Amino acid sequence: MVGPGSSNRLLAQLAHLGLWLFSLTFLLPLGWLLLRSLSPEGQPFSLGGLTLDNFVRLIQGPFGLGLRNSLWVGAWVVALGLPLAALLGYALARYQLGGHTLRFGVLATQMLPPIVLALPLFAIFRALGWSGSLWGLVIAYLAFALPFMTWLLMGFFRTFPRELEEAARVDGAGSLYIFARIVLPLSIPGLFAAGVMGFLLSWNEFLFALLLSGRESQTVPVVLSTFITQRGVLFAQVAAGVVLAVLPVALLARVIDRYLVEGLTMGAVK
Amino acid sequence: MRRFEGLLFGLPGLLVLAGVVGVPLFYTLGLSLTSYTFLRPRWDWIGFQNYLELLQDAYFVHALTVSAIYVALTVGLSLGLGLLLAVLLQQPVPLRGLHYFAVSLPMLIAPVGVGLIWKMLLHPELGPLGRLMGLDFLGDARLALLTLALIDVWQQVSLVALILLAGLRSLPKEPLEAAFVDGATPFQRFRYITLPLLRPVLLILLILQTVAELRTYDLVYVLTRGGPGSATELVSYFIYRKAFLGLDLSAASAMAYVLLLVSLGLVAIYYRLLLRD
Repeated sequence: MVGPGSSNRLLAQLAHLGLWLFSLTFLLPLGWLLLRSLSPEGQPFSLGGLTLDNFVRLIQGPFGLGLRNSLWVGAWVVALGLPLAALLGYALARYQLGGHTLRFGVLATQMLPPIVLALPLFAIFRALGWSGSLWGLVIAYLAFALPFMTWLLMGFFRTFPRELEEAARVDGAGSLYIFARIVLPLSIPGLFAAGVMGFLLSWNEFLFALLLSGRESQTVPVVLSTFITQRGVLFAQVAAGVVLAVLPVALLARVIDRYLVEGLTMGAVK
Repeated sequence: MRRFEGLLFGLPGLLVLAGVVGVPLFYTLGLSLTSYTFLRPRWDWIGFQNYLELLQDAYFVHALTVSAIYVALTVGLSLGLGLLLAVLLQQPVPLRGLHYFAVSLPMLIAPVGVGLIWKMLLHPELGPLGRLMGLDFLGDARLALLTLALIDVWQQVSLVALILLAGLRSLPKEPLEAAFVDGATPFQRFRYITLPLLRPVLLILLILQTVAELRTYDLVYVLTRGGPGSATELVSYFIYRKAFLGLDLSAASAMAYVLLLVSLGLVAIYYRLLLRD
């Protein structure tokens, strides 16, 4: 006799099995990558001889410069973009600035296919002699990081209780004072999440970096992409490079776990 | 007064956006109406000729076709598998934290990194998977597009599942409990209650993923460079090639504008869906 209880048990076991299948599909390639990055070149699977040599050699080469460049660009994108995004996001959330048109514009800008902006930026930067400059990359990344952070913060400010601001206004506080002294200090989690997201976008970006950077201004994804042609066989180096590129992202993402989904769906799912 | 204040708050950001987005977009529009190439860099006005020609460009039409197949494949698979994975993650199984961790990993990796990982795994001689299966996944014109799509899905399904999981958790509990009391089977509960309630999130994801897949460039660059032949020449990569290997910047600009319009149309639908909630 097959009752509802046993069919539920069967279902639970199937679910368990299915979940393991998914998890292994994600974990096995990444586990292989990690093992490979720790193994000496040419002798992949000798568990006894794990080494950090690949990482050391990598940082001493062009990859080390790439890491510095990526950090520099990401930091400036956040430093310049976050204050602007906070102001604009507040204007959109509280003052309904520009109504639906502007809101749609901000959303559409961050969802633009990058190639549409990459063509003109390449031509303009070449004409101005900015090609190969890290500042050029910062400018290019603001084009999508600024609307992204604006959208995220707009959503954040909207959920913010209005009463506090209104109470302060009754007490005679000015708008800028309210924004700087009441709204911003209470928005630190949102600002932090937006900043991390802006940094991640810059960190992982490839197309602009490929077209707009020069030999001295390559970022991590560009250096990684050169590995496939030059050292197609040097798996240990490539693996170590990918691990190093993912590590900061993985650490940051743990910190903003809660905002990650919300941020990446542009507020569609809370 | 309030309108003026709002404008003051927004102005710095708007000015920067006008500079970094507005100016380049107008510049491309201008370029697309000229015969500018890197070999003959002159702004000779030719009206809409580039737009008329691109419709007759068999390679562009091919790139659009390949992209359409690719988008349908990747979006369909990542939504389907993502939904399955989200439902599984909701079940009370042991080690749920570990599974959640595993699922959230791929979405953090730069697409270039994802491409490199799979390029190594699938390498026909040195890669463990390529050697095991005895297939040249990326070098075989019949397999390359499917392989590219599956690698993309490997990454995208992670984000889709987490979004759907958040959606599932925010659903009202009462209808499911009522159905349980009425004796509905788990499948019936999913099919007639959970799925309809989840429809808005699924629709939003459909648009979001379509836009994201239209942008696919990094993976193509790292894994196949559009090859073998032109089997994996997706539209974003094709436009890049037209401009920087074909050196025809004005024609590439016209193609970029077509892509921009498609993308804007999708964002408009997306915005309406957001408003409805």
